[in-house]
Amino acid sequence: MPSPRLPLLKGTLDLLVLRALSWSPMHGFEIVAWLERAANGSLDVDDSALYQAVYRLEARHLLAADWGVTENNRRARYYKLTAAGRAHLRAETRNWLAYADTVTTILTIATGARSAEST
Amino acid sequence: VIRAGVRRAFRLALRRRDRWEREVEEEIKLHLALRAEQLVAQGFSPDAASAEAIRRFGPLDDARARLIDSAGHREEQMQRTEFLSDLRQDLAFALHTMRRQRGWTAITILTFALGIGATTAVFSVVSSLLLHPLPYPHADRIVYVEQEPSEGNNTGIQVTITPSASVVRAWQAGARSFDALEGMRISPRSLRPRGGGEPESIVSAEIFPTFMTFAGERPLLGRTFTASDIERGERTVLLGESFWRTRFGADSAVLGRAITLSDTTYQVIGVMRASLRIPGFSTGPTDVWLPLDVRDDKLGISLIGRLRPGATPAAAMRELDSLFARSAGFTDRKIPFRARITTPARRLEFYDSLVMLTVAVALVLLVACANVAHLLIARSATRHREMAIRAALGAGRTRLLRQLLTESLMLAAVGTLIGVTMGWAGMRGLVALRPASLDALDAARLDSTTLAIAVAVAALSGIAFGIVGLLQSARGTTHDSLKSGAPTTSQSRSTHRARAVLVVSEMALSATLLVGATMLVRSVINLQRSDLGFEPKGLYYLPLSISRDRFPTAAARAGFAAEYMARLRALPAVRAAAMARVEPGARSFSVGRLEVQGETPPPSSSSSFIDVNQVEAGYFGTMRMAIREGATFSDTSAGGGQVIVNARFARAHWGNRSALGRRIRVTQQGNEPWLTIVGVVSDASTNGPGAESSAPILYTPLDDSARPKVLIRADGDIGALAAALAPLTSLGLERTPRIESVERRIARALAAPRFVTVLLTVFTVLALLLAGIGLYGVMAHSVTQQTREIGIRVALGASGAQIARRVVGRGVALAAAGAALGVFGASVGTKLIEGELYGVTRSDLVSFVAAGVVLLGAALAACVVPARRALAVDPATAIRAD
Repeated sequence: MPSPRLPLLKGTLDLLVLRALSWSPMHGFEIVAWLERAANGSLDVDDSALYQAVYRLEARHLLAADWGVTENNRRARYYKLTAAGRAHLRAETRNWLAYADTVTTILTIATGARSAEST
Repeated sequence: VIRAGVRRAFRLALRRRDRWEREVEEEIKLHLALRAEQLVAQGFSPDAASAEAIRRFGPLDDARARLIDSAGHREEQMQRTEFLSDLRQDLAFALHTMRRQRGWTAITILTFALGIGATTAVFSVVSSLLLHPLPYPHADRIVYVEQEPSEGNNTGIQVTITPSASVVRAWQAGARSFDALEGMRISPRSLRPRGGGEPESIVSAEIFPTFMTFAGERPLLGRTFTASDIERGERTVLLGESFWRTRFGADSAVLGRAITLSDTTYQVIGVMRASLRIPGFSTGPTDVWLPLDVRDDKLGISLIGRLRPGATPAAAMRELDSLFARSAGFTDRKIPFRARITTPARRLEFYDSLVMLTVAVALVLLVACANVAHLLIARSATRHREMAIRAALGAGRTRLLRQLLTESLMLAAVGTLIGVTMGWAGMRGLVALRPASLDALDAARLDSTTLAIAVAVAALSGIAFGIVGLLQSARGTTHDSLKSGAPTTSQSRSTHRARAVLVVSEMALSATLLVGATMLVRSVINLQRSDLGFEPKGLYYLPLSISRDRFPTAAARAGFAAEYMARLRALPAVRAAAMARVEPGARSFSVGRLEVQGETPPPSSSSSFIDVNQVEAGYFGTMRMAIREGATFSDTSAGGGQVIVNARFARAHWGNRSALGRRIRVTQQGNEPWLTIVGVVSDASTNGPGAESSAPILYTPLDDSARPKVLIRADGDIGALAAALAPLTSLGLERTPRIESVERRIARALAAPRFVTVLLTVFTVLALLLAGIGLYGVMAHSVTQQTREIGIRVALGASGAQIARRVVGRGVALAAAGAALGVFGASVGTKLIEGELYGVTRSDLVSFVAAGVVLLGAALAACVVPARRALAVDPATAIRAD
């Protein structure tokens, strides 16, 4: 594997799935492939965890599913964002960025103070 | 064995579970295949690729189970949301429909509300009277215990005897069928006011010390009686709460004080709550409570008991009888009195009427249900098109059913809400209007049983009518309904037939009620007009309680009575006065055989109750009873042997011949002296109208052993008379007597039947109103449907009268069919009210005709608007339409 595996924070997977589907409806493997491509490598979770996230999102009505046919004429379950899902993605992205910002700021200050000991 | 329906539902759930599982499997399979393809493209060998795909997916069995689980959770969630959103949609749609058809909605809700309101009001009353008549714990096991004569009661009324103290002692000691047997006596006592003045009459109740526990009550203040109080003969008293509040200003320092009742001094040991009620007496609140001493054998004691769980009244009666036979020394099986155990409900003089009212209300409810049914049918007919369009747009059968159910349940819910409110108000109204003899009604509450019934009725009819609506709209294909604007002819005909059947049944039920109500109204009128045989107006009576302390001998008492009567007659307002053993409204009997000299005597083993009243010579004049033959007593001594009989008795024995000089006697031993008839008087219904009896009534001179009543014929009102009489008390009466009006007493007897009649009339009007609305609905609908036909007829030259006749004729035909059925129903149903009828027979033609006329009148009224609408049809527009 060329790039290191990206460890996932709890709850982040849901957000990533929503992000993946914000482009267009996809079936399960397409989502996995998209995420791997976007992350430049594989994620540090089993593929099955992604399906679980998808089902969870569906139960919360953030996703809607429908059976369709792939380019190679295979039956697949396609997922798409619902309006609620889109709103959720927007809000959560904002939260995540604000959170990341804060954490980054704190970490940056800490690094300036005692970088020698911490690494 | 699992029922088919249950099994099917179960299988359905299984099948659904299969579906997610299969879907999850399919998704996993696809994922693994795609991943393997991706890996092969990256250079993996096919075998290695599929192994790697599985490795990246995670432990397969575990992951599959987890996914199936989350998919299940997801399905559940989705279904719930879908259900809620459908419901929201249905409700919004139902609201929209209701708003669009305001008139229709209002009528439907009103019909629901009337039906449920009437039912709720009456069932509340019935359940409080019949199911919980006494406010004691375990009311379902509480019974009255009395004795009745084993034979010879030919009076037509129930004769009961309060058991004597010795019998009560034997029963208390021996009876195993009872958890408790409580004795009680109600009697008036005189209370000398603390500030001096004339003694007044108050109500005392004597009870066992255990009665408070039995009734589930505790004193408000102080303590209750104990068995040792009675044993030691302590004179203790508990005050009634209202007595304590009015006479003692709710002063808690009253404990330990002494009060004097009928010349005996008692010590106050407590105050009893007003909620403690003595059963079966309508004396109002008890003023004072005294301990009941059963050591005095002469006392008659009223008994109430609580049966042991599982003990039947019949078994308890057998046990009491055998105890009675043993204690009284009757060794043979034939005893003069047998025990009689009755439930409080059965003792209500209103029992039959309540049952009848319940039936009437059930009929009203049926009419209301029929009305709602055809209101919904009528509407579903107009909604054919809407339903067809929705079906065409992809709404499934179940979805449509749900929609209709939501609508009808919503109507039912609103109707129930209004109905229960109306029912509550109606019940309070009933309670407020109740006659005095129905004081128990005061306790009527909207109870949970009634509410449950109301809600169940509403829910069931909502569901049933929703389904009816669907069946109606499901008939015929979507295609048919969409094709033409109007529903197809066959549908409209079948709908119409269904509604005609409903209207005819409504009319029939109303007709039945009408006949019954008319008969009752006529009975009440007859009762009020009936000739009593004496004049109750201006007639009063009072009990003469001569002080036994001041007049110990019979002769002294007789002397006092004569003086009292002389002073009384001298009062300016008094026209006439006479003493009698019993006043109108009460009866006294001799028990024995009535022998007529010269006729075969009745068998010596038989014995019966014979009305005998002892009266003064002036009694007949005071009562204004006509003397048909002879004259009143000329010799009032016991040895004179004079007797006066009623006209019916004289006619039965001597026909048109004179009864004067004939000799009769009431005998037990066979050695009683013969009495000579000196007069024949009119048949007086002294028990009030309706209490007809063909039995003999004998009048004999008043003897001095009786505690007589004084009958007074006076001018002016009762207050003035009472004031004029008050000074006479000091001559030697125990207390100031309470004067009562005979007219009022008779009016009270009439109040009960009148109350029932008013109620039945109200329900009848209600049923008629509902049936009228139903007929109106049918006629209006049929006119709308026939607009075109009417237009053509008018265009072809039909006159307005012909058009109107067509519409009205059909309405009247429906009503007439209903009336015919209703008359048949009434000829059977009036059996229920037979006991309440007076001067009217069950086949009373007037009642049947009157009912028919009223029904047809209502039918005509219901046809007015549709007929006018038919007349207003403009042929040009009607034919062009569509």
